[in-house]
Amino acid sequence: MKTYRLMFLFVGFSTLASLGQDRPSKDAVLDVGIRLQKSINLYAENGITAQYSNQKLASKRLLLGVSYVTSRLGTALNANAIKQDNFLTSATYLFQPKWLVQPLVKANVGYFTADYESELFKELPHTSLLASPEFGLCYCPRFPLKVTASIGYNLLTGNGIVGPGTLYPVFVQTSLTWDVLMKTTKKKSTN
Amino acid sequence: MKTAFSLFVFAIIGLSCSREPTITNEMVDGGTLFDPSIYKPELYLVSKAVPVPTAEQAKKPVIIACHGYSATTFEWDEFRAWANGRADFYLSQVLLNGHGRSYEEFKKSTWQDWQSAIMAEYDALTKAGYQHISLLSSSTSGALLLELVASGYFANRMAPRNLLLVDPIIIPSDKSLSLVKALGPMLGYVEAKQGAAEDKVYYHFRPQETLQQLQSLLTVVRRDLEKGITLPSNCNLKVYKSKKDPSADPVSAVLIYKGATLSNGQPIDVELIDSELHVYTRLNLREVVTNQDRQNQTATFTNIVFRVLR
Repeated sequence: MKTYRLMFLFVGFSTLASLGQDRPSKDAVLDVGIRLQKSINLYAENGITAQYSNQKLASKRLLLGVSYVTSRLGTALNANAIKQDNFLTSATYLFQPKWLVQPLVKANVGYFTADYESELFKELPHTSLLASPEFGLCYCPRFPLKVTASIGYNLLTGNGIVGPGTLYPVFVQTSLTWDVLMKTTKKKSTN
Repeated sequence: MKTAFSLFVFAIIGLSCSREPTITNEMVDGGTLFDPSIYKPELYLVSKAVPVPTAEQAKKPVIIACHGYSATTFEWDEFRAWANGRADFYLSQVLLNGHGRSYEEFKKSTWQDWQSAIMAEYDALTKAGYQHISLLSSSTSGALLLELVASGYFANRMAPRNLLLVDPIIIPSDKSLSLVKALGPMLGYVEAKQGAAEDKVYYHFRPQETLQQLQSLLTVVRRDLEKGITLPSNCNLKVYKSKKDPSADPVSAVLIYKGATLSNGQPIDVELIDSELHVYTRLNLREVVTNQDRQNQTATFTNIVFRVLR
């Protein structure tokens, strides 16, 4: 299972990085940063996120991304909470890409796994597919730093019969990202 | 998906229906049917039946059985019936405050009110001199007992010998409970899907105020478990949990196992039960009961008494 997680992260981030290198940097966006997520009435789960866009992706209105958030970096850090991991791929659409504050909608799909750390509970469901829409706003100044806040809804949750019990429906998230290509653009233009 | 659908349905019902439920006198909600322990507490509470025990009686183990959210003493009647004729332990069936009375009484109760009935019986028994007390819970009472431990209630009292939790809830199966603070005021109440006979012993209508109380309790206990709960000296804890449960998510057992430890640092006991019932020890008034259900009930009753008497 760990191999799959590492492959997911490696493929996701390397794909985004290579996409960024293949295209003229002034036409592309590669936001890399942290994602802070909190399920309503359950865990805080934090991690990393990256998303890429260029002119060919609906004139940079469409961003493709990957994220990894885990309670290991949230509520379960030095506490007895369940260690759980979320691997997400996403497509984000920006409605007003020229605005300072841009409304956005995002579709996530991915994989969830919880580690119960005991053979006692091996029969209980601990994995699930993830599917969630998100709605939010991005504060996107003419500067590499972006702040995105959104609310999401997990369409698949645990219900006591099927699905992991700690997969909750509503979550809020904040992402702080840095456009690693924006600096390159500036250098090229000064040269 | 099911949660999304139920939320949608709840919202539609909440917006289209009145906030006051249609209560009949055939329901415990109605204020005309009361839990029998209110009329004859001496038949249910050891502190009322034997308020001044002899030295020998005071040494006899007492099991305080506590029911779950919206239930009544009925929930442990089968345990009393099963134990009928046994003279080696006492059984005290507590009625949680706010329960078994009326919708209005339930609506204005808090989880601290529910818990105070357990404390009242425990204090009465310890003051009377009973030396060997164990606590048995179903569903929400499990969370109430864990909160008693976490809050230090037993620090200056004689500790219970056993905490025996049947289908304790920390994580609800219906995840829409996590949104009750936002959606609750729109809903007003939630209606239980249960038969007419069950309406006499379980509240049919669940006021959103009490659902908010339930969610608050679960949050408090979950956070206590995340920090770690250490049981008092010489107190054992066992969780009996259905593998599938439409009310208390089985992952609740994982959280208790991870978060609670014995005073010597050893882990607690957990037994997963091959059942799809919530509070699988209560079989009366259920529409379908299998042989496996009966075996589970008998095995658990036997194990509870074994642990109390050992």
